[in-house]
Amino acid sequence: MNALALSFAQPLVLWGLVALPVIWWLLRLTPPRPQTEVFPPLRILARVLKTEETPHQSPWWLTLLRLAIAALVILALADPVLNPRERLAAEGRALALVVDNGWASAPDWDRRAATAERLIADARDGGVPVVLAMTAEPANAEIGPFGADAALERLNAAAPQPVPTDRPGTYARVADALADLPGAAIAVLADGLAAEGDEAAFETLFAAGAARVLWFSPDGLSTAVVTAAENRPEAFRVSAVRAPGDAAPRRLAVFASDDKGRRIAEAALAFGPGETSAFADMAVPFELRNDFAAVALEGERHAGGLHVLDENARRRRVGLLSPVEADQAQPLLSPLYYIRRALAPYADLVEPSRLEATEAIPELIERGPAIIVMADVGTLPEAARERLVEWVRGGGTLVRFAGPRLAVAENDPELLPVRLRLGERSLGGTLSWTEPQPVTEFPPAGPFADLAPPRDVTVRRQVLAEPSAEIVERTWANLADGTPLVTGAQRGDGMVVLFHVTPEATWSNLPISGSFVEMLRRVVQLSRNQGRIDAAADGGTGTLAPYRMIGADGTLVPPPPQAEPLPAAGPRAVTLANPPGLYGSEAGVVAHNLFGAKATLAPLARPDTALPVTDASYAFDQSRDLKGPLLAASLGLLALDALAVLWLGGLFAGLRRRPGAARTAAAPALALVLAAGLWPADPAAAQDARPDQQPDDQAVIEAISETRIGYVLTGDSAIDSVSRAGIAGLSRFLAQKTAFEPGEPAGVDIDSDELAFYPLIYWPMAPDAAMPSEAAIARVDAYMRQGGTVLFDTRDQFSGGFRDGGAVSPGTQRLRDILSGLNVPALEPVPDDHVLTKAFYILSEFPGRYRGSPLWVEAALDAESRADRPVRTGDGVSPIMITGNDLAGAWAIDSDGGALLPTVPADPLQRVYAFRAGVNIMMYMLTGNYKSDQVHVPVLLERLGQ
Amino acid sequence: MARVGEATSSVGLPDALARARMRASMVPDLLVEARRVANNVIAGWHGRRKRGIGENFWQFRPYVEGEAIARIDWRRSARDDQLYVRDREWEASHTIWLWADASPSMLYKSASAAVAKDSRALVLALALAELLSRSGERIAWPGLTDPFVSRHGAERLAAQLAQAKAPPARPDLGAVRRFSDVVLVSDFLDPVEDTVAWLEPLAQRGARAHLIEVADPAEEVFPYSGRTEFRDPETGARLTAGRAEALGEEYRRLYLARRAELSAWCKRLGWSLTVNHTDRLASEALVKVHQAMSEDAGYRAGTRA
Repeated sequence: MNALALSFAQPLVLWGLVALPVIWWLLRLTPPRPQTEVFPPLRILARVLKTEETPHQSPWWLTLLRLAIAALVILALADPVLNPRERLAAEGRALALVVDNGWASAPDWDRRAATAERLIADARDGGVPVVLAMTAEPANAEIGPFGADAALERLNAAAPQPVPTDRPGTYARVADALADLPGAAIAVLADGLAAEGDEAAFETLFAAGAARVLWFSPDGLSTAVVTAAENRPEAFRVSAVRAPGDAAPRRLAVFASDDKGRRIAEAALAFGPGETSAFADMAVPFELRNDFAAVALEGERHAGGLHVLDENARRRRVGLLSPVEADQAQPLLSPLYYIRRALAPYADLVEPSRLEATEAIPELIERGPAIIVMADVGTLPEAARERLVEWVRGGGTLVRFAGPRLAVAENDPELLPVRLRLGERSLGGTLSWTEPQPVTEFPPAGPFADLAPPRDVTVRRQVLAEPSAEIVERTWANLADGTPLVTGAQRGDGMVVLFHVTPEATWSNLPISGSFVEMLRRVVQLSRNQGRIDAAADGGTGTLAPYRMIGADGTLVPPPPQAEPLPAAGPRAVTLANPPGLYGSEAGVVAHNLFGAKATLAPLARPDTALPVTDASYAFDQSRDLKGPLLAASLGLLALDALAVLWLGGLFAGLRRRPGAARTAAAPALALVLAAGLWPADPAAAQDARPDQQPDDQAVIEAISETRIGYVLTGDSAIDSVSRAGIAGLSRFLAQKTAFEPGEPAGVDIDSDELAFYPLIYWPMAPDAAMPSEAAIARVDAYMRQGGTVLFDTRDQFSGGFRDGGAVSPGTQRLRDILSGLNVPALEPVPDDHVLTKAFYILSEFPGRYRGSPLWVEAALDAESRADRPVRTGDGVSPIMITGNDLAGAWAIDSDGGALLPTVPADPLQRVYAFRAGVNIMMYMLTGNYKSDQVHVPVLLERLGQ
Repeated sequence: MARVGEATSSVGLPDALARARMRASMVPDLLVEARRVANNVIAGWHGRRKRGIGENFWQFRPYVEGEAIARIDWRRSARDDQLYVRDREWEASHTIWLWADASPSMLYKSASAAVAKDSRALVLALALAELLSRSGERIAWPGLTDPFVSRHGAERLAAQLAQAKAPPARPDLGAVRRFSDVVLVSDFLDPVEDTVAWLEPLAQRGARAHLIEVADPAEEVFPYSGRTEFRDPETGARLTAGRAEALGEEYRRLYLARRAELSAWCKRLGWSLTVNHTDRLASEALVKVHQAMSEDAGYRAGTRA
């Protein structure tokens, strides 16, 4: 490698550069040939041209460009190589590559692979076979010797594995392979971490008759791995170690993610100078910690940087044990009621199916709870007690509550934190001078130290501890008089906690206070998970299926094909068959991590050997052949030159100013294109300008600015004019008699007009007119369903002949035809107590021009009709009314206000009643069932008066 | 890049015979075209409906104080109390000298032009000859013929031209007399001072000249670009422009300034300068020149006759 990191394979070609001055001279002499033009007004032109220097030679920059092209070509022909790599020449009979592809090699695997590739390339140049072995490979993997190409292929197929290396096994196989190839060069591409059996492995390898050793090790070993994740009461603690070679202080971010990979907590983890282990506490709420599925070190992209968590780090399982069966009818008196309520949000609660302690305790312990809560259990059968003691010593937390039974039971030093006096102490009873005692500050040494003591808790009864030397340190909570309320003590790995009161609110009101919840939670946090995934979860086979594996890059991946089930019991090693990750199923998983809590990392020292050893470091092959880029650059310059020549020749200017026809032809074409491009945009732009304007907005605004009564334009002009006059008459009557002043009658074309603006639409049947279209009937149907009402009028009360059921008038027939297309509810004639009869006037019938036809309305099926109420109650307004009395005929007035049509019979009062019917109908439309409430007013007033 | 313009015939003038033959062969065609062009013009021009010196009665008009008493038509005046003057239609034959430039600079035709400049110039001259001889004017070609009247003036002129030796670049205009009209068809690319010096004697003699400048569009627009070598067909001089498009603006300015100067000079003398581009129709120029001549004739007939 020379100073410029540039070397030439054919340096002699560089002599060609000497020719550059000649090329320059030649180039200067031959300017581009001008275009010759006859030009009669030359004398005029000559006056212009005097000012311009006529170039007889190429412009200097063009010459320079061409010289550059020539120089580039010459340089390219000399085969320049940037950063030429040194050859780790593989002289000898063979090259043996042993590559560590364990978890530690993942972050810079590319470099390792590039280094190996370089070595293989050298071997190809040397024509020697290659033995290629990976240390994290199945033992039956082929290792060669290969040809260089096959080795390269194998190398490309290899990938880092999330498992530790197996140097002894691999090296033994390499040694076997090298037995036939004495004098080989061995290249050890180590990951820099020591593993078990390294010494023997290297001894085996170097004893295989190799000629020399190439030793590759990473430059710096900055790997850090997570060794443990612990759910402590106050925080979630993540421990990590790093290789001791790295002495500089280092800060890492550690984060926890949930089962969907979302990052939910973060902390900083700092290695002090020279420290190899560190921990970080994530002070996050307990509830959040239960969601942790994995903790990982930021930036550590290898399998050791990710630590998966299973149930052990999560919710505790709490076994509940009660001496008496709970009375289902009185749950508040169950001893476990408040404990259940307090713990259920934070823990899994399990209860034995049997009541007998001999069965219940083993059953509970079988299910692996972290805590067993015993409510007032005095004595236990010996066998059960043995199991319990064993469980506590093994790490279980036993929480006991006092009670009448415990008060009289024998002392049990194993299962009670303190010695108890026989009998309980009563405070503030009828025959006692003492007052019920409150709780004081929690002792600072105890686990409740940072909890706020409950102010409102008083204790009336308790069991008392015998005074002893250790009672102070075992006391977790005190009463005001100094007697312990909660005591706790270590028993082996486990813990025994005693609440000196009952778990129900009989002895104190502690169980119904918020502090109780906090205290129990704290105890739960202190406890250790004993639970293991049930063997039965995997069908009882004793193995756990791979569920989610840790990939070599430190991410969770689906299980690879070679992953095998993990034995549920027994030692578990991280191997290729059992890569780290989660085993089990969705129901429950077991974490299988690369590192245990006590793991350390040690750097790999180069073993002593008699063979010549060359140290090297991993590096990418950075040599770059510059021939291609140089040629490409010269081609680019050539293209530039061509452009420049064209420019000098005036091509582009000619394209700019083409005289005459071309321009005039192009202009309209361009205009056309522009217009075509702009035209579709115009309507859109116009729409944008007025986004809300619709053509019939004005009509809509008019329709809704006052309430109008609609009538259907039937197409029969006689009927339509009567309808209009009728509605106008009704409107006038309404304006006179009520506060409602309707607008102009609105003729509605049900085919096209918007119906929703009108509270009521009067629809006289016109048998001679055309039948409304299906779409129109559908619109009416929608109108009725949206709350509108249609008043159908067959106007045939007396034209139908005798109502014997046989003869049907054309109007009624038309109504039937129309109604067959509508969703008509069940109908009934207006009952006597219907709100229509009382909406404004009290009416008993609804006459029009004719009299006698009932007014049909929707049957109020759920309406309540009570004898003591004058009106039936019920919600809603009938969407349909049918009459045959020709209401509009009776209402119709001419321009002078006189009646248009006579009533039949000609009774002036009938017209008045017709108007009243109309008023009632309109009031019913506008106020709904409001009147059915108003009719109670007298009754209400009467009641108030009394 | 395609060439903008080309010389329409060899620049080497020495071969006069070949050139004469070439021109002779061209003349009949030109003649036909000239007839065609003249027919177009004559359709809108009915005689010389002007009063002037002539044989035929034109009109009676009231006598105006100051007119010569001899012009009063007493016979007509005796019929009422008014004095009348008898106007006669102008029938005085007029001598018009026609000349078309045939110098090498005219032998040029650009890609956008329809014909070469000399061809256009000859066509215009012959067309005028046809027109004028049909209306009985005396036409002449300086240095070639004396004024003559002929029904087939154009043919005669063409025959004379076909037999002519190589003409001088500028004809001798010494034979032109007062009141004669001179129509000069050329490109007038020489410096204006030269042209003025050449035509000044005409003005002094009282002749009127109508200059028709035949211009090729390429000369006016200067559509050249890029590295271009320009060659003068007349002198053979060469000029090389590195980027011809850069010269265009300045050139156009000078070109038009030359024309403007010439035009201003002509206007001052009461002469006309008509520009005819070879990509336009010859009849356009013909109509303009004819108008200029006839208007002027009327004016002169009214005042000087």
